[in-house]
Amino acid sequence: MSGYLTGVLVVLAFNVMAAYAVYLPLAAGQLNLGIAGFMAIGAYAAAYLTNELGWSMWAAVPMGSAAAGLVGILIGIPVLRTHGIYLALATFALGQVIAAVFLNLDVVGAAAGYPVTDYAAPGVVFACAIGVVLLMALISRTRFALYLTAVKSDATVADLMGISVRGIQVAAFALGAALAGFGGAMYAHHYSFIEAQHFNVLLSVFTVLYVLFGGVQTVWGPLVGAAFFTLVPELLRASDQWRYALFALFIIIFMALRPQGLVTASLFRLFRRRSKGASA
Amino acid sequence: MSAPAPTATPAAAPALAISGLQKSFAGVRAIRDLSFSVPKGRATALIGPNGAGKTTVFNLVSGVYGVDSGSIHVNGVDVTHLPSRRRIRTGVARSFQNIRLMSHLSVLENLLVGQHVRASSLAALLTPYRLIPNHRWKREARAALAESGLEQYAEETVGALPYGVRKRIDLVRATLAGASVLMLDEPAAGLNPSETNALRDHLKALIARGLTLLVVEHDMHFVDSICENVVVLNFGEKIAEGPLSVVWRDPKVREAYIGTDEEA
Amino acid sequence: MLSQQIINGLMLGAIYMLVAVAFTLAIGVLNFLNFSLPGLFMLGGMLAFGFLKLGWPFFLAAGGALFVAALVSLLVERLAYRRMREGDAEVPLVSSLGFLVLLENLVLIRYGSDQQAFPALFADMNVRVGGLVIGIAQMVSLAISLGLVAWLSWFLRATNAGRRIRTVAENRETALLMGINIERLVPQLFVGSALLAALAGLLFAVNYQQVSPFMGEGIGFKAVAAMIIGGMGSIWGAVIGGLLIGLAEVLSISLIGADVVNITVYGLLLVILIVRPQGLIGRPPAREKL
Ligand SMILES: Nc1ncnc2c1ncn2[C@@H]1O[C@H](COP(=O)(O)OP(=O)(O)O)[C@@H](O)[C@H]1O
Ligand SMILES: [Mg+2]
Repeated sequence: MSGYLTGVLVVLAFNVMAAYAVYLPLAAGQLNLGIAGFMAIGAYAAAYLTNELGWSMWAAVPMGSAAAGLVGILIGIPVLRTHGIYLALATFALGQVIAAVFLNLDVVGAAAGYPVTDYAAPGVVFACAIGVVLLMALISRTRFALYLTAVKSDATVADLMGISVRGIQVAAFALGAALAGFGGAMYAHHYSFIEAQHFNVLLSVFTVLYVLFGGVQTVWGPLVGAAFFTLVPELLRASDQWRYALFALFIIIFMALRPQGLVTASLFRLFRRRSKGASA
Repeated sequence: MSAPAPTATPAAAPALAISGLQKSFAGVRAIRDLSFSVPKGRATALIGPNGAGKTTVFNLVSGVYGVDSGSIHVNGVDVTHLPSRRRIRTGVARSFQNIRLMSHLSVLENLLVGQHVRASSLAALLTPYRLIPNHRWKREARAALAESGLEQYAEETVGALPYGVRKRIDLVRATLAGASVLMLDEPAAGLNPSETNALRDHLKALIARGLTLLVVEHDMHFVDSICENVVVLNFGEKIAEGPLSVVWRDPKVREAYIGTDEEA
Repeated sequence: MLSQQIINGLMLGAIYMLVAVAFTLAIGVLNFLNFSLPGLFMLGGMLAFGFLKLGWPFFLAAGGALFVAALVSLLVERLAYRRMREGDAEVPLVSSLGFLVLLENLVLIRYGSDQQAFPALFADMNVRVGGLVIGIAQMVSLAISLGLVAWLSWFLRATNAGRRIRTVAENRETALLMGINIERLVPQLFVGSALLAALAGLLFAVNYQQVSPFMGEGIGFKAVAAMIIGGMGSIWGAVIGGLLIGLAEVLSISLIGADVVNITVYGLLLVILIVRPQGLIGRPPAREKL
């Protein structure tokens, strides 16, 4: 594999992990605009363990993920009292606060950035991304995934059916945070350097954009969205600004024409019926 | 279906006992000092003109709203201050007047949500049942659908189905919680005559199985064919109670219905 | 020194206030969190800068910038807002974020990513009042902002058009029954909020004599915070929130340091959202009816 191709695929792998971190809470109706903040927590926590405590990457990365998940639980409990736009804005504010905290935190280099001593090879990154996709595909086959949609479409009825709406919401939020933290921790160990400025609002916003572009009705939407966002501009060899401008234009037009996203549940049913019809 | 068969001894506590219930919305008294009980193993109707407070009673029993005062017992258990989420476990489930199915989910998935109380362990939550062909949950849900003659809709997305079908699926979902008391809010509204007949048979089968029904319904022929007893509400107050034929001759009931939609 | 900081905070707050009012119009009446507004703010400043560079006189450049911003806002209405009735609630929000990204990058492609100097209108004219330094430009823009908001508040309260807007905000169905032409009102509101945001961007450029493709983000996002803190959908809430954020920002820069601004401002927003989501003077959202 050429260095160029590897580089692109590594970016894809990180985008896929981020996409599922946005997707999980979104499936329960929570628009998390602060996902970059949780990536930062995972990245900095894992890097700190590797650098200062001499942990191996294999222990530090899961701990970084767990730290982000824990913050997700602690923050999710009060923040999830809000809904809809309020929740989106609360997560947005949260992302800003977290990034600003790391920007001021001297133990991890503050504004100068933080080099990381251990290194995760591209193969490890790929394996992690594939693992995340498989795990998500498995989760999407459970009652948990069903309840995410149930809570999103009618929380009152879900509650009357005996489902712990708060429990599902906090779990979705915290799992999304843990996944973001995992991606962030891997990011830190692959690029061997992190700076707080990287984990900004636009990182969160772009992730949300391509997840919605892919569609949130099925578990494959985020994968398709991340792949499209990463690979198509690469194929066009567009400059960075044109890449973002074109992608934004594309999103706007696409959302106007097909607000439910690229990959939808009914599309899947259609395929399934076709293949059943063909085999019969 | 695996509803726990309640032992319908007449001496046992009523399936549902409501006493001294009061509820106001922004100063408007929707329920006023309401008391009645629903005997086990039978169907009771809750009737009254539009706006009388019938749906509000269901909302108070299921816990959508808290009561202002009074008490609610389900199968002898005081649920008055129980969180709404816990009430279905005491054995009372409900359907909704304005169908509240999750429209993006398939029919089968909606029914699986209805099963939640019987599959609520962490292990059940994380079982990838969709990978297991013919999993018990799916089988049960399909069987319940078949009972109402709706099995052909199992894989359809709810949002695309006709009103009558959705109305009956809303009812099937309520039956899947394994509750012993079902509160049905206008189950026959909007159904065509053949669907109404199918519904009647379905409800009779549920009663035969030992379930207790509390039915809100405007179609008095339908009420007459299912329910032994009726409770009549008007302006949040109980104005009569007893067999339909007796209650219907009550001048107060006649008056409450005059000028409103008298469908009997 | 402190009173100087308070003056500076209020000046900055006036800018936040205008953008917050633009946001609050969109939220309060249309229930739409319009993230393209920071982009329109930036267009107000950047396009005026671009037109001035072409040699246009100031008022023509300003008018041109406002005009383009209004046109873009009509596009936002068409492509993002109209789709709101179908599909998920997050779609219009995301589309409007798409507009923000698009506008920023288009301007960046045209003018480059660097911060540019906006020509001074009132050559270094300051008023000194008992040791306090107040720029003429800042005074003018404070006066314009406060005047505009006061007028808007009067307009909504006392004119027929304003009453129609408030009826739509209260209840769409009632408004339809009363024969209010919502289809016509909505684009007008989009133009109105776009003009507010772009004007704020223009005033920002004049006051601080700097523009960049990303100038809308920091200001626009803090204006959202200001709107929430004051109370979504309330004009005077936006005023109070805007001034409060301006003060908090300037004071935390001078008392603690520039790096903590985001912690203070967004921390405040987070706390308000958790403790009192309806904001300081907003009303709590109504509960659904089963
Ligand atoms: N959530 C609520 N908020 C305000 N008023 C309500 C609410 N729910 C019910 N009501 C009022 O209570 C009264 C009874 O309503 P409801 O129980 O729906 O009547 P029914 O089901 O008998 O037709 C009506 O006047 C209705 O407007
Ligand atoms: Mg009713």
